[in-house]
Amino acid sequence: MERQEIINGLVEILKTVRMIDPAKLANVTEETDFIADLNTPSTEMINIAAKAEQKFDVEFDDDDIDELGSKVKDIVDLIIKAKERA
Amino acid sequence: MEHKISLLGTEPADVLIHGPKKLYVNKYNWHVPDAGIIASYAPRDIDVEDHFDVFRGVDQIESFAQATTVSCSAYLETIKQNCTFDYLKKTFTPLFISIGQVNFRNYLKLGDVFICVGNITAYKYRQMSCDGRIYKVPAGLDLDEYFKDFTVENLRNYQLSEEFILVAELFDIIGRGTKRTIN
Repeated sequence: MERQEIINGLVEILKTVRMIDPAKLANVTEETDFIADLNTPSTEMINIAAKAEQKFDVEFDDDDIDELGSKVKDIVDLIIKAKERA
Repeated sequence: MEHKISLLGTEPADVLIHGPKKLYVNKYNWHVPDAGIIASYAPRDIDVEDHFDVFRGVDQIESFAQATTVSCSAYLETIKQNCTFDYLKKTFTPLFISIGQVNFRNYLKLGDVFICVGNITAYKYRQMSCDGRIYKVPAGLDLDEYFKDFTVENLRNYQLSEEFILVAELFDIIGRGTKRTIN
């Protein structure tokens, strides 16, 4: 799975998050920060990760989430890592 | 490793990293691990010091969090990791993530006993969300006897005797266990 394909999937997830302004999703890149750029509440990161598990058919460890950064590239890396170890 | 089927009979001080001065749970009175918990506490002199003998609202929230998100998630983690509470205390720190709406309906003073009634609404990646209520307990009531036949349905609907006085309603109390970095 290509990284851009994962980003596109993440944007689809982010469109379902009520607290994120849809206008900010037009130019999401790997460097986009969920918290600083998209104003995502920190509590919502858990829900986004859970939705990503379902969408990309992967399973994250609890420790993965402890170590997860707040940029799009961090979760893209995590999805790829989880796919590789599956 | 063998684990108890719930937190009943376990000392809160064995589960919680808090205290002794900031431990706000005396006893677990009812617990169904995937549903919720009822725990009690009686404010001490030190808890109402410099606060006109009233137990502070923020400490009620802290008590609720200790009783619910921290205790319930600690129990589930000991099962998941097949470990002891002592091991969890050494390796994880419980953190407040957020507090949703809290409505205070009454107050608690020195000499009162109160219960935290917590419903687990979500648990994922060591993060737990709970809704619930705090009630003042009728004087002299044997809580263990009162809750011995309590059910999850009773919990969900807050089905308590009218003698219990509603003190606070709490929504979206969220806490998370993170790998320990604070010493």
